[in-house]
Amino acid sequence: MLAWATGSLLAGAAGYEGLLIGIAYVGLSVLLLVAVLRKKAPSGSCAFEGARVTLNRWPAFLPIGMGFLVGLNICPPLLLAFTGAVSSGSLLGSLIFFLAFFLGTSVYFVPIPFLGVFRRVSALQIVGKFAAVIVALYYLYAGILLLAGGVL
Amino acid sequence: MTTSGRTEARSSGMAVWKAVLLMLPAALLSSLTWLGNLMGGDIDPLIVVALVASWLGFTVLFVLMLTTGKTYRYRSIMFILTAIALPLDFIPYMVETYGSMMLADDVMFSGGASFCPLTMPMIIIPALVKGVVIFPGEILPGTAKGAFSIMFILWVGASLAVGRGWCSWGCFYGGWDELFSRIRKKPLIKHKQIDSRWRYLPFAVLLAIVLLSAITFSPIYCEWLCPFKAVTEFQAPSSVLAVMQITIFALLFIGLVVVLPLLTKRRIQCGLFCPFGAMQSFLNKINIFEVRIDLEKCTQCKKCIRECPTFSLDESSLESGKPLMTCTKCAQCVDTCPQGAISYHIKGTPLKANPTVAKVLFLYPAYILLMFLGAGSVAAALYRILMLVTTGSMLH
Amino acid sequence: MEKIRPVLGYIMAVFSCLISAAILPAIAMLSEPFITATGLTISPNYSGGEVVQTIDHGAYETHVHRMVFDDVLIGERKEGFIQVDWTPLDALPARIDEEIDADGDGQADFRIEVDTTTKEAMLTPYASWVLELEGAYRPKDFFLVRVHLKNPAR
Repeated sequence: MLAWATGSLLAGAAGYEGLLIGIAYVGLSVLLLVAVLRKKAPSGSCAFEGARVTLNRWPAFLPIGMGFLVGLNICPPLLLAFTGAVSSGSLLGSLIFFLAFFLGTSVYFVPIPFLGVFRRVSALQIVGKFAAVIVALYYLYAGILLLAGGVL
Repeated sequence: MTTSGRTEARSSGMAVWKAVLLMLPAALLSSLTWLGNLMGGDIDPLIVVALVASWLGFTVLFVLMLTTGKTYRYRSIMFILTAIALPLDFIPYMVETYGSMMLADDVMFSGGASFCPLTMPMIIIPALVKGVVIFPGEILPGTAKGAFSIMFILWVGASLAVGRGWCSWGCFYGGWDELFSRIRKKPLIKHKQIDSRWRYLPFAVLLAIVLLSAITFSPIYCEWLCPFKAVTEFQAPSSVLAVMQITIFALLFIGLVVVLPLLTKRRIQCGLFCPFGAMQSFLNKINIFEVRIDLEKCTQCKKCIRECPTFSLDESSLESGKPLMTCTKCAQCVDTCPQGAISYHIKGTPLKANPTVAKVLFLYPAYILLMFLGAGSVAAALYRILMLVTTGSMLH
Repeated sequence: MEKIRPVLGYIMAVFSCLISAAILPAIAMLSEPFITATGLTISPNYSGGEVVQTIDHGAYETHVHRMVFDDVLIGERKEGFIQVDWTPLDALPARIDEEIDADGDGQADFRIEVDTTTKEAMLTPYASWVLELEGAYRPKDFFLVRVHLKNPAR
C-alpha cells in the first residue's frame, strides 16, 4: 500500500517520476552490489534494543514487529522491489508485487527447518548472492536507461 | 593392472554381433522418420546422399560405442558434430529467408525468431499466469526453423527420457563447449584452481532470468546472455542497446565457450553458466537413470573428479557414491575410472545389478535423442556442403 | 515393495526408450492439439495482439489490432501501444493515408500516413492519449506501424 501511495504521489509530478525511479534503481542496485560483495556485515549493537525488549514481552506482536523492522532496514532487494511496485501505479499491482516478492524470497527460508538439507543452506546463500548480483546489474542498467530518458 | 603396474580403465565393450543387434531397432526407428521425407515428388539426390551418410555415420559410431566400451569418446564425436552442423545449415537458412543471420526489428514482428529449449525457464511463469509465450517466434510450425510447440514437446520428452543427460546427448550447442575443451592435452588452469562456488552460478542465473523475465515480460537470457547467438541468429545492431547486447554475447561466447574450455579442459559454459542445465538438474529427479560409484571398488584415486567436464564430482561424491545433481551422464567418469567402479544405474534396482543392462537401457534413449537431433542436423549440414561443392553456393 | 522397486525401475527404463523414440511422432501429432488445449499465444508485445477491426480496401486490407497494455505479468501498464498493419505487401499502394479508430468508439483517434517503399511514417494524434509513433516496419508479408499510447483507463 505504501508503494502504491508513493507511486500515486509521484504520478502527480509526472515529469519527474522517471527521473526519481531511475535514481532509485541506480542507487539501490549499487547498494545491493555493495551489500553482496562486501566480506563481512558490520558488527555493532542493535539499534532497536527497545523494540527487541518490547517484542520479547509481547510475543503476539512478533510477526508484525519483525515485518515492520525489516521494512525499516536498508535492505536493497526490498527497496528495489518497493521501487518496482511504485512504478506499477496500481494498489492491486503493488500488493501482488509484494506478495510475489514474499513468495520469491521465502524460498530461501524453506530448507532451514529441514535438518536433512541443512548442509545446503550455504549453497542457497551462494546462489542468492550470485542472483542478487545479476538482478542488481539489470536494475542498474534499467536505472541508467531511465536517467538517459530512453536514449538507448 | 598392466605388466608395468599402471592401472587402466577397464573395457566394458560387447561382442560386435550383440552391438549390431542392439543397434538395429534404433537404426530402423531413425530411418523410418527420414523415409517419410524421401517419399514422393522430386527428391534431390544430394539430400539422399546426405541423409544416408549421416545415418550410417551415427549408426557406426553407436556400434563402436557398444563394442569398445568407450562411450564418452564416441558420444563426444556425435555431440561435437551436431553442434558444428547446426550453424552450417541454420546460417544459410537465415540468409535465404531474411537476407542475414542478423534479425531486423521487422522480423521480430513476424514471428521470425526461432525457438530453442533454452527459452523454457523464462516462458513458464508468463505462460501460466497470462497464457502467453514471451518470445518473438511462432507457436506452431511455420516459416521459422523452430516453433514453440516443437521445442516444448522436445523438452518434455527429453527430460523424461534422459533428465540432465540432455546436456550431453541432446543439446545442439553444448558440442561447441566440448570441442574446445578437448583440444589441449593438459589443462593450463587445473581443476583445483577453480573455486567450487562457481558451480552455483547456473542456478543463480536460472533464478535471475526466471524472475526478471516474468517482471519485464521479455526473454532476458535470449536478449542479454545467450552466448550461442554467435552461431545462430541475433538482433541487428540497429541501436546502441543492440550493440551492447551483441558485445555481451560475443564476449560470453569467446570467454565461456572458447577460451576457458581451452584453458581448463572443462565445459565451462555448460557446467558453470547455463541456466537450462540448472533447470534440467532439478528435472533429473524424475529421470530413472543415474550414475553411481561402487564404493567397494573405489580406491579414492580421484581421477573421476579431475576428469569430470562439468564439475559434477567432488570428495562428497566419493563418500555418497553419487555424482552431484549437475551430472550430465556423459560417461567420462564411467570410461575413466581405472577400477571400473563407476557405472550407469537404474534407480530402484540393486546397486550391484548388472551395469551393462543399465548402460544399454540408458544408451538407447540417449542415442535415439542424439540420432534424431544430431543426425538430422548433420545431414542438413552435409547437404549444404554438397550443394557448395556441386553448385558453388550453400543457398537454395 | 522391495521386490517391486527393481521391476518398476526396469519398466521405467524401457519406457524412457519409448518416450525418446516417440518424441518426433509426438511433435508431428500433438503440436496442434497441445496449443489448442492450452490456448497459448505469442505475447502481444511481439504479435501485436488480436485483430479487432479489418478494413477492406479491395486490393489490400487494414488490420487494426487491440490496444495492448497487458504485456505485463499483473494488471496493465500505464502506457502501451496499438499495432496497425496492411497486407498483402505486394498489393499496397506507395502511399497510405488512413484514420484509425483505436478504441472502437466510432471516432478516429489518430491519422497515419505511410510511405510503404521508404518506411517513412507520420502520425497525427486526435486523442490526447495517443502519444507518438513507435516505428514502421516491413516484415515479409505485411507493413505495420506501432503507435505509443497512454492507457485511457488509467
